[in-house]
Amino acid sequence: MFNRFQFLFQTNTSREKQMRAAINQKLIEMGERERLKELLRAKLIECGWRDQLKALCKEVIKEKGIENVTVEDLVAGVTPKGRALVPDSVKKELLQRIRAFLAQHST
Amino acid sequence: MKMEDMSLSGLENTKLEALAHDVYSDLVEDACLGLCFEVHRAVKQGYFFLDETDQESMKDFEIVDQPGVDIFGQVYNQWKNKECVCPNCSRSIAASRFAPHLEKCLGMGRNSSRIANRRIASSNNTSKSESDQEDNDDINDNDWSYGSEKKAKKRKSEKNPNSPRRSKSLKHKNGELSSNVNPELYKYNYSSGISYETLGPEELRSILTTQCGVVSEHTKKMCTRSQRCPQHTDEQRRAVRVFLLGPSASALPDSDTMLENDGYDAPDGQLIMSRLQWDGSSDISPSDSASSKASTNNSESKRPKKKKKPSTLTLTTTGSGGERDKGQERERGDRDRVVSGGSGSSSSQNALALSSRKKRPKLPVPPALSIYDDLN
Repeated sequence: MFNRFQFLFQTNTSREKQMRAAINQKLIEMGERERLKELLRAKLIECGWRDQLKALCKEVIKEKGIENVTVEDLVAGVTPKGRALVPDSVKKELLQRIRAFLAQHST
Repeated sequence: MKMEDMSLSGLENTKLEALAHDVYSDLVEDACLGLCFEVHRAVKQGYFFLDETDQESMKDFEIVDQPGVDIFGQVYNQWKNKECVCPNCSRSIAASRFAPHLEKCLGMGRNSSRIANRRIASSNNTSKSESDQEDNDDINDNDWSYGSEKKAKKRKSEKNPNSPRRSKSLKHKNGELSSNVNPELYKYNYSSGISYETLGPEELRSILTTQCGVVSEHTKKMCTRSQRCPQHTDEQRRAVRVFLLGPSASALPDSDTMLENDGYDAPDGQLIMSRLQWDGSSDISPSDSASSKASTNNSESKRPKKKKKPSTLTLTTTGSGGERDKGQERERGDRDRVVSGGSGSSSSQNALALSSRKKRPKLPVPPALSIYDDLN
């Protein structure tokens, strides 16, 4: 019984890692990941997220100077805000689709 | 065991949930990275700031918000009030109406009715018969009408009667009895009617059974709309039929086509009355009748009138039974004599019989007859 509880409450077991890898592989193989990516892109453009982030990028560029700005500068300056700026509706929809996929293909 | 199972699935659920969130974060990060790469490339290639303009130009092309002027600062009806002089008629025309005016004035545009004008001009100089033929060509091009070739064409009003504009407003006025409009306007042949003078009785009958047929006062043409056309009442339709086909042949449109017209002289009023009564009793089945022979008589009456039908005499009232057994003259003649000797209701009965002959399949004879039997 003790072993069972141990099994239940452990978080990053190899079994779990295995499962994750398997599911990710399935996502890619079935083309679902691409579809999700496209869906996310379209939604983000639609809701204006992209333009917002572009404005942020402009600020970073003006800050760092147009000649010397690097990808890392941009990424570091923009990605955290980008994650926060995703609207809730888009997030919910995407999570829903991912869950549906997992429910279908997790076993 | 159960609790463990439940918590097990709950944990699995949370794991799945966590997994879903991870997948989601990956996707979002991919999107951000993609954007950063694009921007970086645009910066390095030099086209990132291309869509921006300097401040001065921004002021020059700002949106204008003044009255009388559009957002670009242009006055929109600047040329509306200007007038031009037409080189053809030397009139002063508004600028926005200038082009259509020129079209009509020079007779060169698409809608300028130049052929019609030419024709009218030529008909002034030539004889009437020639111009009639030309009229036919033009009119037949425009619209379909029955007696147009035969109808004498009344000549011009001041305006061009064949212009497209005119036809639209006047097309639907045929058949109306109001004389508000100048009768001259109806002289052209855009009418959608038939001239009854040119048709034989057979044609008239066939037309009257399918179409409204009411003769317009102004054009003397029959209305070609359906029997239920809203422009004319049933009274009008009945009157037209009486007028065109004789009093005995004025069966209403909702009855059948008429039999041969004997020229029978039964009074119209009784026919109409009997018809009204027939309409009321049309839903009673023949089997309900007391005098069943009458139903067979009716079916027999569909045959040509001179055939021998001994049973026809039973149609009439019982009171005048003795007179019935006579030779086979015309059935109507028989009924006539019998009726005249019979009781008062027999005349209507006779009319009933007559109209039953005419309205054969639809209306059952016996039930109404049984009513009169009771009366007698």
